[in-house]
Amino acid sequence: MSILVSILILAGAIFVFLAALGTLRFSSMLSRMHATSKALSFGLLLLLIGVAIFFNSTAVYVKAIMVIAFVYLTAPLAAHAIAKARSTKHKDKMH
Amino acid sequence: MSIEIPDIVIYIAMALVLTALLFGLIRLIIGPGVSNRLVAFELISLTILAFILLLSVATEEAIYTDIPVIIALVSFIGTVAISTYLKQKGK
Repeated sequence: MSILVSILILAGAIFVFLAALGTLRFSSMLSRMHATSKALSFGLLLLLIGVAIFFNSTAVYVKAIMVIAFVYLTAPLAAHAIAKARSTKHKDKMH
Repeated sequence: MSIEIPDIVIYIAMALVLTALLFGLIRLIIGPGVSNRLVAFELISLTILAFILLLSVATEEAIYTDIPVIIALVSFIGTVAISTYLKQKGK
């Protein structure tokens, strides 16, 4: 069980790191948003599952499920809002 | 609490998450325009969420897992508020 928790925590941290690397290195703003909204959500999913298995209590499981639901419901909405705000500003540079 | 995981796992994960925070800070400084800074702001807030999760594992305090619930809500509200302001201003 400790190996499972270690693998989940390391994989989540690696996904968070790769999301930040994509945000730093990608060339256009829409590709940066692609890295931030998807890879970061998946990394947080892995980290939260690992932390919930580590503590192994009901309250932590409930909080982990709440955070996963919030992040997976609100990350696409936030990315959509940012993209809409940009597309009303630069109508000619979308493609 | 019965699970023991090695310290080196937590240290490596914390180093990766803090490097991610540094990358987000660099993008927040150099990013051209408000949209890139908004993306960097979202990245930084969710990275701090990940770091607090790792801190709760390192100190073995389960009460720290309250904080990510609040950060997940407040960062979403902040991002939507700023982008709605920009959208109204662009019209």
